Amino acid sequence: MTFQTHDARILEVKELTPREKLFTLRFVDPEINRNFKYKPGQFVIVDIRGFGEFPISLCSTPTREGYFQLCVRRVGRMTKYMQELKEGDIVGIRGPYGNGFPMEKMEGSTLILVAGGLGMAPLRSVLWYALDTGKYENIYLFYGTKAYEDILFREEVIHLLKHGEDMKCHVKLAYEVESPSCIYLEKGYSPRVCKGVVTDLFRGENFDVENTYALICGPPVMYKFVIKELLDRKLSPGRIYMTLERRMRCGVGKCGHCIVGTSTSIKYVCKDGPVFTYWDALSTRGLI
Amino acid sequence: MRYVKLSQENFEEFFNSLKRWGKLYAPVKKGNIYSFQHVENSSEIAFDYTRTMLPLKKFFVKPRDEMLKLKGGKWEESNGAEPIILFGVHSCDIHGLEILDKVYLAEPVDPYYKRRRENSIIIGISCMPDEYCFCKSLGTDFAMHGFDLFLHELPDGWLVRVGSVKGHEIAWENEELFENVTEEDFHHFREFEEKRANSVKRSLNKEGLADILDLAFDSPVWKKYERICLGCGNCNMVCPTCRCYEVCDLWVNAYEAVRVRRYDSCFMETHGLVAGGHNFRATRLDRFRHRYYCKNYFDPESGFNCVGCGRCDEFCPAKIEHVKVLDEVREGLQ
Repeated sequence: MTFQTHDARILEVKELTPREKLFTLRFVDPEINRNFKYKPGQFVIVDIRGFGEFPISLCSTPTREGYFQLCVRRVGRMTKYMQELKEGDIVGIRGPYGNGFPMEKMEGSTLILVAGGLGMAPLRSVLWYALDTGKYENIYLFYGTKAYEDILFREEVIHLLKHGEDMKCHVKLAYEVESPSCIYLEKGYSPRVCKGVVTDLFRGENFDVENTYALICGPPVMYKFVIKELLDRKLSPGRIYMTLERRMRCGVGKCGHCIVGTSTSIKYVCKDGPVFTYWDALSTRGLI
Repeated sequence: MRYVKLSQENFEEFFNSLKRWGKLYAPVKKGNIYSFQHVENSSEIAFDYTRTMLPLKKFFVKPRDEMLKLKGGKWEESNGAEPIILFGVHSCDIHGLEILDKVYLAEPVDPYYKRRRENSIIIGISCMPDEYCFCKSLGTDFAMHGFDLFLHELPDGWLVRVGSVKGHEIAWENEELFENVTEEDFHHFREFEEKRANSVKRSLNKEGLADILDLAFDSPVWKKYERICLGCGNCNMVCPTCRCYEVCDLWVNAYEAVRVRRYDSCFMETHGLVAGGHNFRATRLDRFRHRYYCKNYFDPESGFNCVGCGRCDEFCPAKIEHVKVLDEVREGLQ
């Protein structure tokens, strides 16, 4: 294993929101493409040659082979370069890295996906994996966004909001900024669409805690509040999974930027995570 | 372990024979500090040095390290490693290197580090501690492995412990220079070791340390030192086990670029910064405490991430003492 990356061609660039673009990629070498296996929750390192590397989670599902997708928000220098790329351009990719969500372990259970903003990206991988395999009891998606325009994968989410029940997929949306589109959605799908924050979506919901897993991804401030809702419903800390972000430079546990924890519990987010349980967070200070 | 003796009169010849195996580096005195430098003659070596400013990591994870070269849109691996001999390495530094090995040689192996490690020969030398050393309490004052040869000072030469096949081959090639170890030599060896062990003044109380530190997350001692610490990151640079690095691409000309990694420090504000401006270790308090947690993480297999070399104390411009901080944190809990 080296830090060499493999050429991947951008097949499609789709503007999801004014800030986020969805890149569909495929490795140029068919052999590498065939062997590229990943799990929901894992990430890759994107290499824009001559400019640098950045880590990003995979937002496509391994059940759909032949391509993979990355949702890139423009937040810094590297993501700005990335967003300027067009169909047909080449980037380097190495990975996949990290542990990913334990999809097999959770088979037969109900999944509660709690996404905040960009946190929808890694959870989309779980969502589609669960829908494609059909091995899960029920799938709940609680998704909190700022405004209607910020809803990532809007068409997919709204499609599932309308027709998901047939696939035992229950979508709930919370938005903060009112707009005609949101009010329209709210009228049609109240109380599944409401103004508020993601924790408001838990109101009135109770789960069979023995057979439920929660998977969370969102901004750092979100975790504490979402976890409280889950614990209030007596969900075990071992059944609460969350995927975390740190400055992962190498992705393989060498560069030290993603080290968290204290003298009894040092962990590398890039290789011990980025998926951790709430129990990990209880026993590893600084994780959330 | 295999033991042989190298007499003082044969030392020069032995030393010169080492050059056959690679480029020789040894501690050299420059002004008031010591550093590992390329040497041609044994007269350049400071045999009685205390500690070099930069530890051995500078040979394996370089301060500025070229990883890949971009030519015609493709990355090429940078050049390989030249064979080197590190002569006169202290036991604590050998332990430090073993901690780095654990990280860099763990799967997936870091190819640059591995290549350099495979092309290096480590020749240890016995030392006398100074006021900064606290290696004895961490069990790093004596190296049982991690070296090819280890030279222990005797009144009339050196007792040599042969620690690896490579070390054995070096001894083999110079067989005529070595003699058998006598009872008297062992006596001197033991005497020296006892004297050395008794000269370590500073000691780290590591009894339950990992748990105590964990419990003392909100200790006022961190807050006290946060105000004293300059946040310069010197301790990271000189630490034999600190290894954080940053990666960046640099353009050489319009068509060529290089990907380099360079030392990073957990005292820098950018260390915990992620895209979008969120910083997971935003304050100096967070960063100061983090370093102590990282150094004192207790791995059941290999112990602490600190080898007690005393560099962080000696080269701290704010005169913060590692052991004192930890003792104060411990006292603060009682």
